[in-house]
Formats: sequence, C-alpha cells, structure tokens
Amino acid sequence: MRLHTGAYTQGFAFIFPAVALFGVFVFYPAFYVLYAALFEWDGINDGVFVGLGNFHQIFTDDTPFWISMRNALYWAPLTIVIQMVLGFLIAFLLEIRTRMVPLFRALFYLPAIVSPVVIGIVWQRIYNPFGGLLSDIGRATGLKFLAFPFLADTQTAIFAVIVVNIWQWMGFSMLMYIAGMKGISREILEAARLDGISTRQTAIHVVWPMLRHVHMTLILLGVIGTLQTFPLIYIMTKGGPNHATEMLPNYIFQQGFILQNMGYASALSVVLLALSLGLSIFQVKVLGARFSFGAGR
Amino acid sequence: MIRVPAITRRLATAFLTALALVWMVPVLMMLAVAFTPPEKRVTGFGGLVVEEVSLRNFGIVFADAPILHHLLNSLVITLSSVFFVVLFGAMAAYAFARMRVRGKNIWFFLLITTLMLPVPTLIVPLFQINKSLGILDTYLGLILPYTALGLPFAIIILRGFFEALPRELEEAARLDGVSQPRIFWFIALPLSWPALSVVVIFQFMTSFNEFVLALVTLDSDSLKPLSLVPLIYSGQFFTQPGAMFATLTLITVPVVVFYFAMQRFMIGGLTTGAVKG
Repeated sequence: MRLHTGAYTQGFAFIFPAVALFGVFVFYPAFYVLYAALFEWDGINDGVFVGLGNFHQIFTDDTPFWISMRNALYWAPLTIVIQMVLGFLIAFLLEIRTRMVPLFRALFYLPAIVSPVVIGIVWQRIYNPFGGLLSDIGRATGLKFLAFPFLADTQTAIFAVIVVNIWQWMGFSMLMYIAGMKGISREILEAARLDGISTRQTAIHVVWPMLRHVHMTLILLGVIGTLQTFPLIYIMTKGGPNHATEMLPNYIFQQGFILQNMGYASALSVVLLALSLGLSIFQVKVLGARFSFGAGR
Repeated sequence: MIRVPAITRRLATAFLTALALVWMVPVLMMLAVAFTPPEKRVTGFGGLVVEEVSLRNFGIVFADAPILHHLLNSLVITLSSVFFVVLFGAMAAYAFARMRVRGKNIWFFLLITTLMLPVPTLIVPLFQINKSLGILDTYLGLILPYTALGLPFAIIILRGFFEALPRELEEAARLDGVSQPRIFWFIALPLSWPALSVVVIFQFMTSFNEFVLALVTLDSDSLKPLSLVPLIYSGQFFTQPGAMFATLTLITVPVVVFYFAMQRFMIGGLTTGAVKG
C-alpha cells in the first residue's frame, strides 16, 4: 500500500507544474469571465451586479455583435474552402514534380510564418487607393475598379481582409495535404495509372477521398481560427468602417480595453467561449474530426 | 511521387511557377519599399518597382528605434516559454503515458479541451490576474500564460510519442533498480527528440508572433517584443514608408531564419506525428 501511494505521489508530482500553470492561467480565467459577465464593471471600481443583463443586451440590442456573427459566417466557409482547394491542388502538383519541390513548398508556406501584424500593414498598402499596388495596376491596365477603396467601403472591407487571411494561411493547408499524401501507398497510385485513369481523375477520385482525415482537421482548425481572428482585423481596419469588419475578438478588445466595459467584454468572451467549445465538440463528436497535427491557437 | 506524362509535368511546373510569383508579390513589395532610398517618394506599382537600391531606411530604423532591444525582448519571452513548455510538457506527458496518476483521464480531457480555446476569450481575466499577481507589464506576465497555453499541444504530441516507445528499454532499466524519474530524464526524454523538436518549433512560432496578449498586458515600450514594434513606431514612421517597411523586414527575418533552419525536423514530425486527440 505504501508503495502504491508513493507511485501516485510521484505521478502527481510529474503533472503538477503543468496542471498548476494551467489552472491559474487557463481554467481560472475561463471561470473568471463567467462571473465577471454578470456585472457592469469598468475593471477598476467595484462592479454593479446586473445578472444576465449583459447577455440580454448582446442578443437583443447589439448590432456590432450580430455583424461579427455574420462576418464569421462569411469568413469560415470562404477561408476554409478556398484554402482546401488551393492547398490540395498545389500539394498534388508538387507530387507530380521531381525538382524544386522544397523551393515551392517554402514559398507557399512563407506567409504563414510571418507575423500577421507585418502582413496587415503590407496589405494595407496594396489596397491603398492612392498609390497602392492595386490602384497602380488599375491605372496601368485601365481596370479602373482596382482603385476602389476596398478597406474603406462597408460592402467590400470584410472580403478584402478575408483575401489576406486566405493568402496567409493557404500554405498551411498545402503542408497538411503534402503530409497526408505521403501516407498514401504508391501501389494504389501505380494501379490507377496502369488502369489508364487520367491524372485529373486520380486527383479527384483517388487521392482526394483518401485524405478525409486531413479535410476534417483543416475544417476544425479553420473554424477555431475564424473564432480567434484578431491581429489582421486590428491592424487593417480596427473592425471598421462602422463595424463592417467586426469580429468577436476585436469587439471584446474594443469593449474591454478601449471603452473600459470589462463586464460586457467578459459576457462577450463567454459567448465566444461557448461558441468555440460547442462547435469543436460538435465537430469532434458528431463529424469525427480530430487533430492530426498542429492544434490551433 | 506520381508518374505522369511529360507534358502534364511541364504544365504543372508552369502553373506552380506563375502562382508562386503572384503569391510572393506582397513579400517582394515589402522588400522593394524597404530598399528604396527614403528620399524617393513616388515609386511605381505601390513601390514594387525598384530603380535604386539603398540601405538607408535600415539606417534610419537602427538610429531611431532600438530594434535589437525589441528582438532581445522577443527572445527572452519566447525562449523562456519554449523551455518551460518542453520541461513541464514532457514531464506531464510522460506521467500520462507511463505513470500512475489519480484521475488521469479527467486531467487529460481538461487539457485537450483547451486546444479549442480562443486566446481572445482570456484577455480580460488574464489582464486582471496579472494585475493581482503583480506581473502586469513584465516578461513573466507573458511567459507564464504562453507556457500554459502551449502545454496542451505539447502534452498531446509527447504523450503519443512516449506511448509508442518500446517498453522493454524502460523495463530493463527498472529491473536494474533505476527510479522512474531517472528513466524519464535519462532514457525517455533523450529518445523523444523528434517529437520535442516539433513542440519547440510550434511553441517558438506561436510565442514569437503572438499579438493580443502582448498588446493588452505590456505598457512599457522597453519591454515590448518585435510583434508590437510596428504599432510603437507607426506614428514616428507615418511619413516614412521606407523606414516602416524596413522595420517590417527586420521583424520578419528572425522567424524566417528560425523556421527554415528547423524545417526538416518539422516535415519529419508532420509525417510521423499523426496523433489522436
């Protein structure tokens, strides 16, 4: 019995540092927002208890919140689908090639390792209607619509940011598909070739269906990524113009740290927390998605 | 490698080359603007066309902004969190894989749930918690949360690896009277370097580029990491796009160098590291 207790103590000692850090900086905060969400509170003075008042306001009388929901519904499918199709296409074409594969792989993946802050500022200049790259191309080619102020117009701004996000993260999808294709046995592909199946058909009817686990991982990570989008929005538009590019993380930041509504920001955090946990559990349990590699943060 | 007719391969090459060129335009533009002499204000195609190359923008940055100091901040924060994630993550993962832990499954479930936790939900409480712990506006105020947030991924990757290690090695050591902590430290840990390198790369990249927590918890410019540098100097360099883009280039260099130095470990880890979550 003594031996048993000793073994348990040792095991606990091994997980203790991780659990302690985790408790203080992840679990406690998650419960903290649940509590703080019940107050009208500026973060400095004592809060006033308002019960579920903050949530009532979020769901019935908060236009920016609903815009952020709408934008997430644009963001997730556009980003995920386009990145999957492009990433798969490039990964497949790289399987065909014999030389320069590492170079192509590096070039397409490069944007994913660059800070989104840098990327946001660079793309601001590309979209700038006065002397930006797109407007200059428009002037040179006569395609005048390219000089449109994409980031300043409420109709186009969110899509302009989505383009940047796709550009940045497409290489990650490509890398996941490359890794997935390494796991497909050569015999299957060789058999497809000997049966006279075209390259295009091999891609669509043989390789794509065999990578279901990669598709599911990318969808799962794409949804989580959508829900934590912050730096690109903050740098490029600050959620504007007139909240047109609002996403929940930016709205939480604005409410909590610019307007000093820490209670309201906590309530928004609770909604984001519930959404992300709910959607993740739904995807893992119901759709059978799993993390193959590269968990989202 | 898929065998195809030569014409298909040539078409694939042409397509990939064209797409890669388009894909690199923003990066090339960043470099072009950074290397354009500061007094040349009007440049073609958003600055993509370079007529004269100059390093003077970089001179301005080094003179006006302590960029190396910010790099040092980034390295202190990033490397500390990498160290703690590797150490604490490996210990916990080994315990989950090989040792007796009361409530093991519950602990593990709680850890992996937070893989799906968006960091922005934590900014309000972490700001308040750092304030009460007296670590607001310090390195530690970022190192500890980065470590905590990096642990779940590290533990999942490493646990999978430890479970796959042949038990015979450890059994032999145990029969020789070697204690469990020593087996972990001298046998399991050195063997797990392929998984550890994936954890190191991942933690380095996420901590180095992390933005939102740094934004809300750091107030003193002298403590700020590279990811916040464009915000600090956006006013000062407002009329000097060359200096701003030179800054952006300098911020990007360390992480690109690190990634390409470590890339072969990453690809190895990707192909071997299918892990059940």
